[in-house]
Amino acid sequence: MSEKPEAGKTVKDKRSIAVLRERHGGMSPELKERFKEQQRIRKLLREALKSGPKTVPELAAACKLDPPVTMWNVMAMRRYGEVVESSERNDYVLYALKEG
Amino acid sequence: MAKIRERYDAMVIGGGIAGMQAALDLGEQGFDVLLVEKDPSIGGVMVGLNKVFPTLDCSSCICTPRMAEASHHPRIQLQTYTEVQRVEKNGSGFTARLRKKPRYLNDDDCVGCDLCELACPIDVPHEFDYGLGARRAVYIPHGNAIPQKAVLDVENCVFCGKCEKVCPTHCFDFTQEAEEVTTQVGTVIIASGLQITPMAAKKEYGGERFPNVMSPLAMERAQSSNGPYGRVLRPSDGKIPRSIAYVQCAGSRDRSIGIPYCSRVCCMYAIKQALLLTHYIHGLDVTLYYMDIRAFGKGYEQFYRRAVREGVKVVKGKVAKITEVDNRDVVLRVELLDEDGRVEERRYDLVVLSQGLVPGWHVGGVIDAAEADDGFLLTPEPKVSPSRTTLEGVFVGGVAGGPKDIPDAIVEAGEAAMEAANYLRLTNWQSHSAGPVASSEHARPTVGCEVC
Repeated sequence: MSEKPEAGKTVKDKRSIAVLRERHGGMSPELKERFKEQQRIRKLLREALKSGPKTVPELAAACKLDPPVTMWNVMAMRRYGEVVESSERNDYVLYALKEG
Repeated sequence: MAKIRERYDAMVIGGGIAGMQAALDLGEQGFDVLLVEKDPSIGGVMVGLNKVFPTLDCSSCICTPRMAEASHHPRIQLQTYTEVQRVEKNGSGFTARLRKKPRYLNDDDCVGCDLCELACPIDVPHEFDYGLGARRAVYIPHGNAIPQKAVLDVENCVFCGKCEKVCPTHCFDFTQEAEEVTTQVGTVIIASGLQITPMAAKKEYGGERFPNVMSPLAMERAQSSNGPYGRVLRPSDGKIPRSIAYVQCAGSRDRSIGIPYCSRVCCMYAIKQALLLTHYIHGLDVTLYYMDIRAFGKGYEQFYRRAVREGVKVVKGKVAKITEVDNRDVVLRVELLDEDGRVEERRYDLVVLSQGLVPGWHVGGVIDAAEADDGFLLTPEPKVSPSRTTLEGVFVGGVAGGPKDIPDAIVEAGEAAMEAANYLRLTNWQSHSAGPVASSEHARPTVGCEVC
């Protein structure tokens, strides 16, 4: 097992993420752009869901996003516990922000 | 993970159901086996399937005990996330050059807690869910993965270091690099499995262009209880589909895409998925458009009739084209063969293309065994020795030798293991590296020399 640092701190030795960043020349411009766009989309979705549960088409319309992109992002948020299924309306599932 | 030793009796390439079966059969006979898998987990395609036909048993309930058995077997060494670079004949055995890909963590220390995955800030399409769902840049491959160890996908890493900070065992080691290892093996079994025909193979069907034209493997994940949506929904907008069409022979029996053969499983997996869909979505209209229904296995014809009885519609028709219309619904232009070839357009919420099977890996440049015209490994004696390849001492099991269903893949893998065991005995291969035998159950076979 590696050396144990203080809680919340990393070991500033050769194992640090800085080594990997340096070796790979940092994030590619394409990845940087994709990451930024993902963060923008998530912010929009969270804001839209604050007013109550919504279906994917409703979220897409509220956030001015492409529905398939909205769907993928909502499912990612669901997988990692940010969003839960609320109920159904007209053949669509309503998604809500997870409380707490 | 244990270090790769200098010698083994056998190397099995591919940790899917066929590879695991071959490795277990050899291990049970007391042979030392190196089981090499290119992905971070064993289990292959089968562990991602929802249910198997015709019994409708849970696929992972069958596959995961086999995965656990292979990973714990005292005679089998598992080597995941490792690629085979070159296998060369060396006397009666082979010299194998392998490339271990870096996980960027010490897997002996990783406890599979997934705290790193939860802390990672970027989502990327998950290969295990065929892109329908998401994973993080650092992730545990899936809930049933063996080993339950994280892996860092450096191509999508944002280098924030959060994974390192939350790891309770401080197992990350970002200095890791790919490592080349050489070992000697007495025999090789290729069980490198399958891929499905590329979704874009037939441009007129709109695969990869229209989100509601799905692959059968993506549908398997959508139907799975641990799938990306938790239920069956349309990828375009999350609608609960009310009408679904299956297009049979969408990636097989078609010279125009270079796949003239029948893939043998498409009729049955489509019937199975369609039947299950009627269970999952009440009132669903599900229709299979087929050229012939090939339900040739034990209990398959009865299963087909059951599906029709329970509401799956089957229409003898050839789909010429699929187009996308408003709301991303899809329209099939179909020639109805039982209605004098009348052409009709039919609208659906979702379409599944019943894609065929193609080899999961090609041996070219790596192993000097010949492939047949269809790309699967050539077996010169298919009737008397279906697992023998053109290179002595190299055998094939599962779909690497040609399209087949799970039961046939398992049987053939067992046959490959028996051929490999015979080869080891005939060549008197000695691995020399065998450690202490865990129990008599796993003892090496006696040679009847009477010295004792």
